[in-house]
Amino acid sequence: MLIPRKVKHRKQHHPKRTGAAKGGTKVTFGEFGIQALEPAYVTNRQIESARIAINRHIRRGGKVWINIFPDRPLTKKPAETRMGSGKGSPEYWVANVKPGRVLFEMSFPNETVAREALTRAIHKLPMKCRIITREGGDF
Amino acid sequence: MSEVRLAAESRTEFGKGAARRTRRAGKIPAVLYGHGSDPKHLALPALEFARVIREHGQNAVLTLNVDAADSELALTKTVTTHPIKNYIEHVDLLLVRRGEKVSVEVPVVLTGEAQPGTLVTQELSTVLVEVEALHIPEQFELSLTGATAGTSWNAGQIELPAGAVMVTDPDALVVAVNEAPSAAQMEAEIDTEGAGVVEDAPQTEEPAGADA
Repeated sequence: MLIPRKVKHRKQHHPKRTGAAKGGTKVTFGEFGIQALEPAYVTNRQIESARIAINRHIRRGGKVWINIFPDRPLTKKPAETRMGSGKGSPEYWVANVKPGRVLFEMSFPNETVAREALTRAIHKLPMKCRIITREGGDF
Repeated sequence: MSEVRLAAESRTEFGKGAARRTRRAGKIPAVLYGHGSDPKHLALPALEFARVIREHGQNAVLTLNVDAADSELALTKTVTTHPIKNYIEHVDLLLVRRGEKVSVEVPVVLTGEAQPGTLVTQELSTVLVEVEALHIPEQFELSLTGATAGTSWNAGQIELPAGAVMVTDPDALVVAVNEAPSAAQMEAEIDTEGAGVVEDAPQTEEPAGADA
């Protein structure tokens, strides 16, 4: 699973969830991509699960790129704990995804199989997404 | 590439409120600059401009009739689109003269199918070319028909029209045809073992006696 090798601070504030993606909104490496339509915190487990869903469906003959990295820690207090006594301990690593961001890209010769693989990956993600292509939509 | 005529209006009010009003009126806010002249703020008809981009590509050369008076030759430099809704938000237009050479990004389009069992990776989707403003190619085509694993194309191998000069490094890889990775190779793509968190000591220490 994706985790940062080194962090400056173990505990951080919650990442901002407002606004749209400023960059990374186009397919640049592969032919197809998954684009987020809503803001979300995507955990490293969800990223790994989506990656496995794509790879298991295409089996061989394709290439997958992951364009996001879970670099923000989220903390959680233990169950049945009274409030106070400081911030909880780090529990998740998340990528702060904003609408428009391309999360995964892939190259595969067969478009039908590629779209099915990406649909399976979308089911593992916590927000609405759509499949886009490198050519992009017409205006 | 053929020239396209487009009617444009000057904009007198600026800012996001005015830009939104322009868009609601079915127009696109645009700016025209170049050759040391003062920038001109324009409004282009949205549907007509979208059709031009669709038919002639992002490097379309336009003949703008500004306020049905003076005529300007312009090259689309940047087209800003909304990240989700896919409409054109703003256009940057560069003033050009007949016979002037400009540097533009021309798309590289792959045609045909490589041999089965191969994976085609396109490293560069555009190449930078210096060419006369009125003779910008819409795209460069590379035929992959029958390409075997190990074949590759560099920027220098792309056929250019007469008078055009490749600005991109001729040795830059554009397309590579490799053997398709096996299922085991795809599973091993991410190094999960080396992904351990090593934390640094906090950079600032709490002052002595500070209340926790």
